[in-house]
Amino acid sequence: MSWTHAFLDRLVRGANPDGSWGYRPHTTGCSEPTALASLALAVHPAAQSSDALTVASRAGLNWLTDLQKHDGSVPVAHGLPSPHWPTAMAVLAWAGCDDADSLTKNEACTAAVRWLLNTRGLAIEHDAHTFGHDTTLQGWPWVADTHSWAEPTAMAIAALKKMGHSDHPRVREGCRLLLDRCLPNGGWNYGNTRVLANTLRPFPATTGIVLAALAGEPETDKTALRSRVDASVAYLTDALKRVRAPLSLAWGLIGLGTWDARPPESHDWLAECAERSRDEPGEVAHDALLLLADARWRPAGKCIGVSADG
Amino acid sequence: MADQQRPGKSLDGGVKISRREVLGAGGALLLGGGLAGAFRHRARSERGLKADVFIGRAVSYESDLPGLIQSGLAELGFDRPTVRGRRIVLKPNLVETALESPHINTHPAVVVAAAEVFRRWDAKQVLIAEGQGHRRDSQLVLDESGMGTALAEAGLSFVDLNHDEVKPIANTGGFTSMEKLYLPRALLEADLIVSMPKLKTHHWAGVTCAMKNLFGVMPGIVYGWPKNVLHREGIAQSILDINTTVQPSLAIVDGIVGMEGDGPIMGAAKQVGCLIMGRNLPAVDASATRVMQLNPYGIAYLKHASGLLGPIHEWNITQRGESIASVASKFDILDEPHLRAVATV
Repeated sequence: MSWTHAFLDRLVRGANPDGSWGYRPHTTGCSEPTALASLALAVHPAAQSSDALTVASRAGLNWLTDLQKHDGSVPVAHGLPSPHWPTAMAVLAWAGCDDADSLTKNEACTAAVRWLLNTRGLAIEHDAHTFGHDTTLQGWPWVADTHSWAEPTAMAIAALKKMGHSDHPRVREGCRLLLDRCLPNGGWNYGNTRVLANTLRPFPATTGIVLAALAGEPETDKTALRSRVDASVAYLTDALKRVRAPLSLAWGLIGLGTWDARPPESHDWLAECAERSRDEPGEVAHDALLLLADARWRPAGKCIGVSADG
Repeated sequence: MADQQRPGKSLDGGVKISRREVLGAGGALLLGGGLAGAFRHRARSERGLKADVFIGRAVSYESDLPGLIQSGLAELGFDRPTVRGRRIVLKPNLVETALESPHINTHPAVVVAAAEVFRRWDAKQVLIAEGQGHRRDSQLVLDESGMGTALAEAGLSFVDLNHDEVKPIANTGGFTSMEKLYLPRALLEADLIVSMPKLKTHHWAGVTCAMKNLFGVMPGIVYGWPKNVLHREGIAQSILDINTTVQPSLAIVDGIVGMEGDGPIMGAAKQVGCLIMGRNLPAVDASATRVMQLNPYGIAYLKHASGLLGPIHEWNITQRGESIASVASKFDILDEPHLRAVATV
C-alpha cells in the first residue's frame, strides 16, 4: 500500500466518535488537526472515490461548526475559552471542502470571516533599537491582546483571500506586515527579524506558510515582493533538502508550490518523510499536512501575481 | 499598551509586583530598582529557607555524566527508594536549532545520562518533554539538535508539550493576572519534574536557567509561538507563577558548554565544564548565576523568589561538590540598560 493510502486510512481510524481529531489519534478533539484532517480527506485525489473518507471529512467539518462560537470564532478545543487562532484554519477547511454555491450560504464561514476581520494584533510604539520590524503594523495574533505574529497572520490572510477578500484593507496591511517581517536573506521565523543586536534565523515551516499566504500578491516598488519571495524560495529550496520533519517539509512544499517552485525531488522527500512514521501511531496534523502537500494544496488559491520561476 | 498594567498579587508588606515596562514583541519585563528596598529586609534571612546545590565538574559531554549525576543526586538526598515507581519528566531547554550553534539547547548527552540514572533507580517511566517557544516543529528540533537520535538510541520517548492535551490548573502564584494555567497532561501526570536547562545569558531576563526553562511547559496551542501572553504578563511574574504552580522537584543544569552574550539563541559558546544540580530552583539559579560571575539580585525573578520560593543568598545555600569559585567563569552580557544590574557583581 502506498504511503498516501496508508495515511488516509490512518486518519480515518484515528478520528474520534464525535467526528473530531486530536493532535494524536483518539485524543481530545482539537480544531487544528480536525480542520487539516477534514481538508486532506476532501482534497487528496486518492480520497475522492471513497465514501468512508468523505463521511469522515464531513463529520470533521460539522464538529468544527458545532465548536464555533456565536461571534464566529473557533477555539482550540471544547472547554478552552481562548485562544481562537484556529478560526482561519476552520475557514480554510470549510471553504476548501465546499463548492462555491454552498460556500456563499455557509453561515459558519461568513461568521468566521467577520470575526477575522474584526480581530487584530496589538500595535506597539516602534523602538528601532530593540526591534527590526515595524511594530505598528497590525496583523493577527495567536492570542487576544498580544502582538501580531507570522503564522496566525499568514493563516488569516490565506483564509480571507480564499473567501474573496484579497483587497480588504486588513488583508493589505497583513501582507505589508508579512513582507516587513521577511528576514534580510529571505525566509520567515515566528515573526521577529532583529532583536537588539542580532538578526534572527528563518524557519522552514513558517516560510512555507507565509509564501502560501502571499499567493497572488502584486509586485509594487514599496513592497519589493519579488526580491523577498525569490530570496525566500531560494532559502526554502535549499533548507528542505535536509528536512524530513513532516510539519516543516509539508508547509515548505505547500509554500513553494504556491509559487510554482516545487523541486522535482519533492515527491521522494514526502515519501521518505512519511516512511519515518509509517509504523507509528502518527500525528494527525502531520499526516494531514503531508497528504495536503502531496495533493499540491494551495491554501489561498493559485498564485496569479509574479511567479518565482518567472 | 506598553504602560498597561494588570493586577498582581501582593507578596508581603503590601508590596505589589506589577509590570513596569513591557516590550510586547518578543517581550521583556524590565523591572527597575524600585522594588529593591522592599525586599532588602529579607535578603539575608529569606524566611529561614535553606537549600543545597551540587556542582560537579565535567570537562566534556564524553565525561561520565551518569556517574556524576548519580553522585550529585545522592548528595541531594535522592536514592532508589525515592525514585522507584515514580513517573519522571525531564524537561530540557530546546528553543530552536542552528547547525552552527549546538550550544542553544541542552545537550542530549546530559538528558540521556539523567534518564539512565532514574532508570537505574527503577523509575516507572522517564519521559523527555518540551514545548519550544520559537519553533513549532518539534520533530525538526529533535532532528537538528541530535536529541531525536540520542533519545531513540536510548529507547526514550519525547512528548511535545505544545500539542499535548491540556487541563486548567489554578494559578497558585498569582503574580500575573492569569487565574488559571493551562498545563499539558504529561506534566500533570508526572511525579517528579526535572528542569534541565542550558546555562545561558538572556537578553531580557539577564539569565535563563532552571526557573525560566519552565516557560517551555506552557503549551503553544494556548499561549502561542512565541508565548507572548507570558511576555505581556511580565517575564518575571510569569516565571514565578509557573514555578509556584508546577512545583518542579529538581534541576540539572547543563553548564558544560553554556552561552554568553546575546542569549538565549544568538550568543557565543562558553566553555565552563560543570553540571549544577539542586532540589530548589531559585537556589540552583542563584548558584548558576554566580558561576557566570553575574549578580542574582540583578535578576528580577530571582530577587522576587528570594524568601518565597527559595533562598538565593549564598549564606543560605550549602554548596556541595565543587566550589563556585573553582568553576566560575565570567559570562559576557549585552551592554543594555536593563541588564546592567545583572552585570554588576
